[in-house]
Amino acid sequence: MKYSYINPRKKSIFTPELQLLLTFFSVAFFMLIATYMFLVFKDYRFVKDKSDILKERTDLNSSIFTMNKKIAFIEKESMLAEKIYTKNAVLKDSISNLFDLVPQRITLSQASLLKNGLILYGITPNKDIYNFMLQAPLRSIFQKSYSSFYPAKNGWLRFVSTNYMGESDVRVNDADSPEELIGEN
Amino acid sequence: MLSKIFEALYNKAFVNIVTDDNFTKVYIEIVSKKGLLSSVKDVFETESIGEDMQEFISSYISQTPYTYISVLDTSMRQGAIPTCSRNRMDYFYDISGCEHKCYANKWTYYTYIDEIYKLEERYKGLGLDLIFSPFVVLANFFKDKIDTYMAMYILILDGYMALAVFDNSELLYAEYIDTKHIQESEDILSDDMSSDLDDNIDLDDVAVDNVEDIESLDDFADIEDLDSLEDIDEFSESKDIEEELQVEAEEEVEVNSSFGDDYNRFTMIQNSINHFYKDERYNSQFIETAYIADNVGISGDLKKYLEEEMFLSVYVRKIDVVSEICDLAKLEIGV
Repeated sequence: MKYSYINPRKKSIFTPELQLLLTFFSVAFFMLIATYMFLVFKDYRFVKDKSDILKERTDLNSSIFTMNKKIAFIEKESMLAEKIYTKNAVLKDSISNLFDLVPQRITLSQASLLKNGLILYGITPNKDIYNFMLQAPLRSIFQKSYSSFYPAKNGWLRFVSTNYMGESDVRVNDADSPEELIGEN
Repeated sequence: MLSKIFEALYNKAFVNIVTDDNFTKVYIEIVSKKGLLSSVKDVFETESIGEDMQEFISSYISQTPYTYISVLDTSMRQGAIPTCSRNRMDYFYDISGCEHKCYANKWTYYTYIDEIYKLEERYKGLGLDLIFSPFVVLANFFKDKIDTYMAMYILILDGYMALAVFDNSELLYAEYIDTKHIQESEDILSDDMSSDLDDNIDLDDVAVDNVEDIESLDDFADIEDLDSLEDIDEFSESKDIEEELQVEAEEEVEVNSSFGDDYNRFTMIQNSINHFYKDERYNSQFIETAYIADNVGISGDLKKYLEEEMFLSVYVRKIDVVSEICDLAKLEIGV
């Protein structure tokens, strides 16, 4: 039963001094926890970044390796292209020189450029024109030169001139050797 | 939940303060869950809270946060009325502006709210938890008698008296009396005293009006009958044997009260009873017994006056009001 006119004040163990003390401890504890959490987070971020960087490095290494392979291939292609270009240029010059060798009165019907030789098919009015105007420059270029003639219907002579630079014979349509065929002039 | 755990861990300090006429009694009990650990009592010769008193109390209340400071309301504007019904309260006293509490759903004690504010202001430095009415102290102190007897109960403090008439725990009448300033107005009262006494005790008038009573008075006048024990039996029935035995055991009573103080108290009690008999609002019943809770050390004169002048059977019990307040505080808090 309640006898008092007033109700007792609320009792608490948290006196103002204790409240102040607890506040300070709470703030300090909170700061410690916050610092710890911050460091844990930073550590986590650091480990994650490190992992990402390592992965990126591996990817980059892989990419570099692939690119190096591609570069090597492209370099090879480039060299091959250059070689082909040079070869073509040489061939072009050779053909140009060949056609320069052929006089006006002789008509070439076929020319086969071999690796170490040249076979010419054509029509000449007579042997002398051939011998003096075509045979002579061919002999100066090739070490061996053979010519064979057979008569054409119009009285001219068809000829086959086989020229080669080495000791071995010139093989026509040799599958192993590169061969250039040039149509009738 | 947490507060209950803390409450169980800490001791409780009950600081009980009673401000009398010129001094303040402080009684402190330190109570644990197992029971009373220590108690200390001191008296300070000041009505206000002095530095030494504050220091004394602070030395105990600083030991535990569970400190309960209780005071006795000694303000003049307080009292008790014999109803708990809000509608009937105004019939006895205008309690607007009062703080009031119902006791056991039978009667109400009240005091003015501004008096409570004054007390709270006075004990602002220490804080105040409980304020008790002297009527509650009286009712609890004489609980064994109030529940079974029809009697007048008086709590005598230094400068104040709380007077109540109970009939089997039903309050019939209550008055809070200031005896502190009676001395100042003694001259004024003394002029009217003789007439008051005549007015107060009109037993002769009452008897004359009633024919049967006259006949009984004729019997009463027979001296021979007076000598016989049988006729006195009616009186002896109202005697509280248990209380008499107790009073005999407490025969050694320290007397601090002067003749004048006791006479003043007697006068005020007489006036109060007269008021009770005359006021139609109260259910007047003839009072045969008076129980006095003596906190000041009254002399035998008061008892003698009451017995001889008012034909009351008077029993005096010593009371330590601060201890009683402490018990009330413990009841209130639930220790």
